[in-house]
Amino acid sequence: MSDTDEFGRVSRRVGQLFRGVLLASTLAGILTLAVLLVYVANDAFRPLTADPGWHLTFLLTFVLPTLGVGWWSYQRSYGTLTTGLLGIMLPTIAALYAGGLAALFIDVIPTLVWLSFVVAFAIPVGVVVALDRTERDIPFLAEITAVLAVTAGSLLFVPDLVQGLPTVPADWMVLVLTIGIPEALLLGRWTRGRWGRRAGLTTGAGIVVGSAVAGVLGTVTGVGAIPGVALALFAGVPTALYLSVVAIERPERRAGLLLPAVIVGGALVGELFVGALGFAGPESWVDWGFLTSTVQRGADPGAVGIYSGIVGTILLMFTVAAIAIPAGVGAAVYLEEYAPDTTVTRIIDVNISNLAGVPSVVYGLLGLGLFVRYGGAQTGTLLVGGATLALLVFPIVIISAREAIRAVPDSARQASYGMGATRWQTVKNVVLPRAFPGILTGTILALSRAIGETAPLLVIGAAQVFGVPDSWNSTVGAMPLQLYVWASTYASPAFYTTVLAAGIVVLLTAMLSMNSIAIYVRNHYEQR
Amino acid sequence: MSNGNQASDMSEGSSGDEYAVSVPEGRGRDRDADGEASTIIESRDLSVWYNDEQALQSVSMEIPEKRVTAMVGPSGCGKSTYLRSINRMNDLIDAARVEGEMLFNGKNVYDDDVDPVALRRRIGMVFQQPNPFPKSIYDNVAYGLRLQDRTENLDEKVEEALRKAALWDEVKDQLDQSGLDLSGGQQQRLCIARAIAVDPEVVLMDEPASALDPVATSKIEDLIDEMAEEFTVIIVTHNMQQAARISDKTAVFLTGGELVEFDDTDKVFENPENDRVEDYITGKFG
Repeated sequence: MSDTDEFGRVSRRVGQLFRGVLLASTLAGILTLAVLLVYVANDAFRPLTADPGWHLTFLLTFVLPTLGVGWWSYQRSYGTLTTGLLGIMLPTIAALYAGGLAALFIDVIPTLVWLSFVVAFAIPVGVVVALDRTERDIPFLAEITAVLAVTAGSLLFVPDLVQGLPTVPADWMVLVLTIGIPEALLLGRWTRGRWGRRAGLTTGAGIVVGSAVAGVLGTVTGVGAIPGVALALFAGVPTALYLSVVAIERPERRAGLLLPAVIVGGALVGELFVGALGFAGPESWVDWGFLTSTVQRGADPGAVGIYSGIVGTILLMFTVAAIAIPAGVGAAVYLEEYAPDTTVTRIIDVNISNLAGVPSVVYGLLGLGLFVRYGGAQTGTLLVGGATLALLVFPIVIISAREAIRAVPDSARQASYGMGATRWQTVKNVVLPRAFPGILTGTILALSRAIGETAPLLVIGAAQVFGVPDSWNSTVGAMPLQLYVWASTYASPAFYTTVLAAGIVVLLTAMLSMNSIAIYVRNHYEQR
Repeated sequence: MSNGNQASDMSEGSSGDEYAVSVPEGRGRDRDADGEASTIIESRDLSVWYNDEQALQSVSMEIPEKRVTAMVGPSGCGKSTYLRSINRMNDLIDAARVEGEMLFNGKNVYDDDVDPVALRRRIGMVFQQPNPFPKSIYDNVAYGLRLQDRTENLDEKVEEALRKAALWDEVKDQLDQSGLDLSGGQQQRLCIARAIAVDPEVVLMDEPASALDPVATSKIEDLIDEMAEEFTVIIVTHNMQQAARISDKTAVFLTGGELVEFDDTDKVFENPENDRVEDYITGKFG
């Protein structure tokens, strides 16, 4: 007689049933999503239209090596794999955003206008720095007045002055000047702190020279000067910096860089073979023409494109971010750090939580009433659309920022107050720096909610056919609105399984890339 | 013994034979040879409430300058509350309410014209859990100086504070590394360096060694002993032996926020006035 008989057994039947149900519901969710994505991707990319030889070539040169090296990296260490994944994700996502920014400069903001406003803002910033450095004791009120006066004067006169200059610098020069040099200073300082003076100088000089070269190369090759500089500054520089950090500081993870090398190399080699052997690729609907065509209607789905939607979405996101982030984070800081715990603040708390759950169409109506009816703005403009979407994400930004601020340990505040810091000094030096990653994550997630909204745009009267906006008051559309239009107004089977699927892929790519940035930021700082 | 118990009369009682805590020779008690020190902090009938709960019951006490004063007592006896009412850290708690007077250099810190922020710049504080900022070691020490715009000769001031905190030799080559990379004991000494970098007159310490191992604790204790040359140190501790080892004066709080005994440390430990104090320090309760 064994011991187990003497003890008896405890039934786990209910528990196992429960576990089975949980597993089933998890699988149901994941499978539904997977089926949907595969279905859409199949319509968008049409992989079956390619030659079998094309598939075989890329399987051999791209897929298998990637899987093999990925598995090998994972076997070495988890860190090696993540290094490799980041090595390929970072340039890809960065290139996406660089492309978006380039579109902005090509279509909406002439580089000269941009330059004039950068100069106009640089002047007051210079005054602030000078006032800060000066030895003389200037009364606070006088300082504030001086800064405000200089800002107003500079914004009033400098843009016109710069735009009226007889000789105009080339596009790439403006970008190198206004973005490249500040980036070089910032990152040069960062590398100097990390690896010493020489590294700092090399970084700074490399960024300026590299972006200038990219501008010239872009002009020569036909890519365009603006995309060239944007790619160099926003994708090339971060990638190079990441590779340097891994190479210098993480020798044990260097092997992970094999993965991006294999992915890029495999794709190039595959392309070479396919060209040489004459295998036809898939007739994908997501192609350069689709991404850059501004045609929005017509019988031929092959001619239409989503470019106006992409630019509209980018502009809307900028507007939303510019309105909702300062206001939302400001409100969060006030409620967490300043507001007394009273009945009134508790009522506000509850209301903000409720506002986050209000259907988006209601926000659209609010925007319509507030900005169009009472504000007298035109319907469907960029400003009204951005402001309405900002209203929508405002409570979400507040809630996530408050959570980030609340997660700052009280001991940190105590340490600061105990040193004789004022509330402002504590918020500035201790609370905000520590809450920053959390605030950033929450803000990106809030923006990625706004990126997918259609209803508020419809309600505020966005046009069904919209061009590329060129000012605050031009009508604007966005990617989801474009999808809605293709699925309803021009609804026909010719659109359903073609550009609609392609549009969904583009929208999801933009959204998922934002979310992945948010997740990366969160994980990166949680490890500390 | 209900209130106003400033048990500082020097009458010689019968010397108790058995005391659990022996007071070692040397250390803090040597300073008694310097004679009487002047009072830097004095509380008069100080009471503190958290909502309706009274945490301190009209405590009156005179704390001498440039001495180590220890506050001992069981959990919830109000010793930390007393400490935090000296630099008005209790102001940060909405529910806290203070009555009575807390005199710092003869001025009631709860007067309307006293700015608590300015007060805290003269009364430094070290907490139970080491809480360096997630900044470099240098920036941690420079934090208070920068708050006050006292940034001339910053390097020297940082070095001096780290030397006084007996940390300089360990960290002089890694000043730009994060303060959080240090060990727990080093972190606490970093917090002490941070507190004394601004030259406060008083340093309040709220169980500064209770989260540390014995070796780190003994370093902190040595440090406190040296700090008393320059600063007034007021330390809250759970640890009777620690109070006996490092303090010149000891205040015993018992449950309910009552100060039951306050006297020279050797007197309190060898020959306490109050029976409950004797029971407490010999470990019969608490």
